[in-house]
This record gives sequence, C-alpha cells and structure tokens, in this order.
Amino acid sequence: MAELRGSFGEARHHLLTRWFGTEDLHRLEVYESKGGYTALRKALLAMKPADLVNEVKTSGLRGRGGAGFATGVKWSFINRDAPGPKYVVVNADESEPGTSKDRYIMENSPHMLLEGIMIAAYAVGANQAWVYIRGEYDGPHRMLVEAIAEARAKGYLGPKPMGVNYPLDIQLYRGHGAYICGEETALLESLEGKRAQPRSRPPFPAVKGAWARPTLLNNVETLSTVPWIINNGGAAYVKYGTEKSAGTRLMSVSGNVRKPGVYEVELGQTFRHVIMELAGGPPDGRKVKVFWPGGSSAPVLPESMLDTHTDMEALAAARSMGGSGGVIVMDDSHCVVKAAARLLRFYAHESCGKCTPCRVGGDWAVRTFDRILANEGSQVELGILERVADGLQNGRCLCGLGDSAGWVIDSTFRHFREEYEDHALRHTCNVGAVAAHA
Amino acid sequence: MSALPESVLEEIRELPAKYPQPRSAVMPALDLAQEEVGYLTPEAMSEVAAALDLDPGYVEGVATFYTLFHLQPIGRHRFYVCTNLSCSLRGSSAIVEHVKGAIGVREAGDVSKDGLFSYEEVECLGACEYAPMMRLDHEYHYDLTAQTITALVAERRAPLSAAAKASRSRARVPSPPRGEGQGEGRGPKKRAPRTKNIG
Repeated sequence: MAELRGSFGEARHHLLTRWFGTEDLHRLEVYESKGGYTALRKALLAMKPADLVNEVKTSGLRGRGGAGFATGVKWSFINRDAPGPKYVVVNADESEPGTSKDRYIMENSPHMLLEGIMIAAYAVGANQAWVYIRGEYDGPHRMLVEAIAEARAKGYLGPKPMGVNYPLDIQLYRGHGAYICGEETALLESLEGKRAQPRSRPPFPAVKGAWARPTLLNNVETLSTVPWIINNGGAAYVKYGTEKSAGTRLMSVSGNVRKPGVYEVELGQTFRHVIMELAGGPPDGRKVKVFWPGGSSAPVLPESMLDTHTDMEALAAARSMGGSGGVIVMDDSHCVVKAAARLLRFYAHESCGKCTPCRVGGDWAVRTFDRILANEGSQVELGILERVADGLQNGRCLCGLGDSAGWVIDSTFRHFREEYEDHALRHTCNVGAVAAHA
Repeated sequence: MSALPESVLEEIRELPAKYPQPRSAVMPALDLAQEEVGYLTPEAMSEVAAALDLDPGYVEGVATFYTLFHLQPIGRHRFYVCTNLSCSLRGSSAIVEHVKGAIGVREAGDVSKDGLFSYEEVECLGACEYAPMMRLDHEYHYDLTAQTITALVAERRAPLSAAAKASRSRARVPSPPRGEGQGEGRGPKKRAPRTKNIG
C-alpha cells in the first residue's frame, strides 16, 4: 500500500483512525488484537436491537456521505418486525470530486467497516448486506473480499455469529463508473441491474428499497463509526464535536496544499486549522484563494472565510455545506472561472438524463463557459449562467446532482463576480490556468 | 459463430441465482463478456441478453450507461487519467500530454497502432491526496511525473518487443486487441476472488 497520508495513531480525537498505521490492520487477527469486534460481540450478546438504535440516536451521529441525516433516526425507520427479507446497503461508491476518505477506511481497516455493517444489520433486522463499491476501487475491493473471507472463516459471518442464532452475510457488488450511483436511489437501481436513474420518493428506501424490500442505506464512514459508538456509548460520542454536529469526521484535503491527506477532524474545528495546519497550507509564496468545504458539490468559500467552522450548522450559515468532507483547496495561481467550467463539465457528463433541467442545463452551462473562456463572452453569457444556475436548483430535479451543478455557478458568482466579468466582459484573465483541460 | 464461448455463457447463466432478483446479474455478466472479447460488441451483448433471458435492447441500455463498459476496441493496457479538479490543480494536464506522447495517440479513446495502449480522461478516482494520479488497468498510480509514465509504458512494451522480434518474419495479421480482464477488477488471474465474492 502507498504511504499513508492523513491521520493515524493514538490521539484524543482519533476515533476512526486510532489504529491506522498498525501493520496488517486489515487482517482480522490484528484488528481483533487491537480491540476490534468487541462492539459486535457486545451488540449480539448484551444488547437488544432497539438498544442499538437508541445508542446511535444518542450519539447524534449524522450520515457522512453528504446529506448529514441523523443515522439513528434513519435506522429507526426500518420496521424490524415486518415479515420478509430486509437489507443493509452500504454506499461505497465514493465519487464526489475531492473525496477519498471511504477509500482510506477500506484500505486501512476493512474489518471496522464490516463490524459496523454487521451491527447495523442486527439493529434493523436484516440478515443480508450489500456493499456497492465503485468499479475503479480495485484495491479496496480486494481488501473487502479478503476481509469478508476471514470473517466467514471465523464464523462472524454465517449462521451463528458469536454463537448467536442470527445469520449474517455481506456481499459485494461492483459499480461500473457512474457518479450518480452515489445518490441512494440511483444506487439501488444500479444494484438491481438497471441504468442508474434516481427514483422518486416516497416510497423511501426504508419502506421499499433494494429489490422492493425495506432497506437501510448508509455510507462507509457512517457505518465505520458505529463500532466506536457501541463500545463507548452514544453519550461518549457527543463529547466530541458541537451540539448539533457530534463527533469527528474524515476530511480529505486535496489541491494546492503542502500535505494533502485524509484527516480526522473534530467537528467544529475551523477550516483554517484543517487547511493551514493539518494540510500545511498552500505552497510557498502562494495564498489560499478559495476552497470547497465538502466536495465539489459544496458551495465554495473564499479565503476570507477560512475561520468558518466545520460543523454543519456553521457551514449552512456560510451558505455552504459539510457534504462529503472533501476539502479542495485552490491557491491564487488558479482561475475560479476555469475551475468552475471544469466542474460543470463533470456535472454535465454525469447527469443521468432523467430530469430535463439537469440534462439540458448542464450542457448549456458548459457551452456558455466555453464561449466565455474563448473570449467570446458578454453580459448575455453571464445572464445565461445565472439563469441556468437558478434553473438547476430548488428541487426541480429528482436528486441533488442538478442542484450541485447550480451551486458551483452560484457560489463562484457570489464570491468571485469580478473574475467572471474579467473573462466575459473584458476578455482577460489575471491569473494562471487550471488546466488546458478546464 | 458466437461471440462468447459456451464456458462463459454457462458462467453467465449461473449468475442470476446469486441475487435476490435475476436482473442484478446483468452487470457481472457484461463484465464476463467484456473480459472475454475485450469490449462489448453487439453480438456479445445479444448473447448476454439471451443467456439472461433479457431483451437485447435492455442489456445494451445498461452497457451504454456506465463508463467502465467499453463499446469500442480498447488497448490491452488502459490508462485512466484523472482530470478532475484536485488532480488538475496539481498538473494532470501535463500528465495527459505525457501519456499521449508516450503511447502515440492523439485523443482520449484512441488505441495505439500496436493495440497495446489506450487512454481515457476520467473523473475523480477518489485518491486525491496522491494527485496527480491515474488508474492503469487495475492498479492506481500516484504522484505521477513524466518519468513514471515513461517507465510504465516501457515496462509494458518490453516483453512485446522481444516477442515481436522473434516473430517478425511471419505474416503480420492484425489482431483485435485482446483485453486482459476489462471486466472491472478481474484480470484472468483474479477470477477466483470474484467467484468467491459473488457466491
């Protein structure tokens, strides 16, 4: 494995990463020697499913995939006593630009994820879990294949885990290259062997999810946090973070920083701490110009807002969001308009085509950016971008992909109007290029 | 003359039983077909459809949705270079140029004349702390430089040029690029884990 870049080792706030860096942590026996699978044992032998749901509710844990929904509440939506199969589906389709934390977990500690999945399955009354992992993640996939085989050999997966008569199994399903599969209902369509186009809700997956059965969908990091919570109690978890954003989260910091990496951060820390201290700040002689605080879909914040806190409420107040925890940092040698153009190309490419505003709006924005960057822009193009940005947002589509594309335009306009006007009206750029490929 | 040998069709026919509903087998089945043929020809997709008792148009509809299914010939070795924001901020455009130069192609999707290489520009591959990075066949490569690219290309050319010298006198029959496990994550040598995994 490549050199670890990010958090590992013991520290007060390393709840997920405290054992990372241990040699062969991905082996079951090593994970267990550190204290792994004690939470599963406790859950199966000493707790009732309803206690598990309550413990996670108490912890205040919120989904780490992007939406930040309360995990315990989500668990409680599944009717444990409904007859017939129920499923846990794990979203390991990590594809949000600038986000690599689920990969970091799966490569370092696949058993931590498996343990979380097993506890969740027991809590919601499922016997079968499916991990939907993006097709490009060959390495993490191999790690999970081996970890599942070890767990089966040990009997943790099988008819009687820990001697308890509660059959558990985990299967893997590989994605094939589609960002939209990170959206939970598109993921379910894909798992069912279809084109990955989001479903309309209701019915919600908790009622009618995978193969029309009640389904709990959680992100890799969310489930990986569960063993710590079960071991230490929900009340211990809320001692970390802020009142409404409890705990820690992994933030993948990338772009123009000296030490890009996946850092475990106590929620409520500032982005200045994350970007300037943990990730070492921009290269010598450069200044931070702008950062995306939670993946490319999170509205941008300028350098002047580096003191914004990382909890979800602070980010909402700053008109952005915590999203996937992917922090992309851009320094002052790069052009905001070109960066936005590159991201719009991404959203246009990844639109599944189901909803008209997203299907048409993305391409429209790309063509408009092309004209602006070819010095053919005018006030007309700026007006088009603003109208397209508006048309993409506010619930006009079944999922958030269109909104995300709109937010890129909207937020870069809000904070960097001058750069847009330089390009569109004065046909100049006063900074360097993101890339010829922008 | 069928596109897929009976052994592969047999394997495909066994897939549906592994899922709560048989339709979920369509992507793993297309993987097997792609691994066999190198890319998904209309014939291969029709045979997958027949083996799974699905409509051919449905199978093609799935195949065209996902970027890891290839509908055109591709090189035996495939470069997937990330050009999304985190990588482009750290020089991915120069990496793309090095790749193009090293394998002798002009555009994304082109196959080198010897059928050995092709490259694509792809969206974020989720390893942003190692940018600029790429996926080459089934492995990630990090902190890319011109030198890394040159070395990776040379390593993959070396055995071929030795073999080519040995057989130069023979008639040169252009052969379609034979993929080494385009089925994602499953080169021929890695078939055991897949079966274990799904089974």
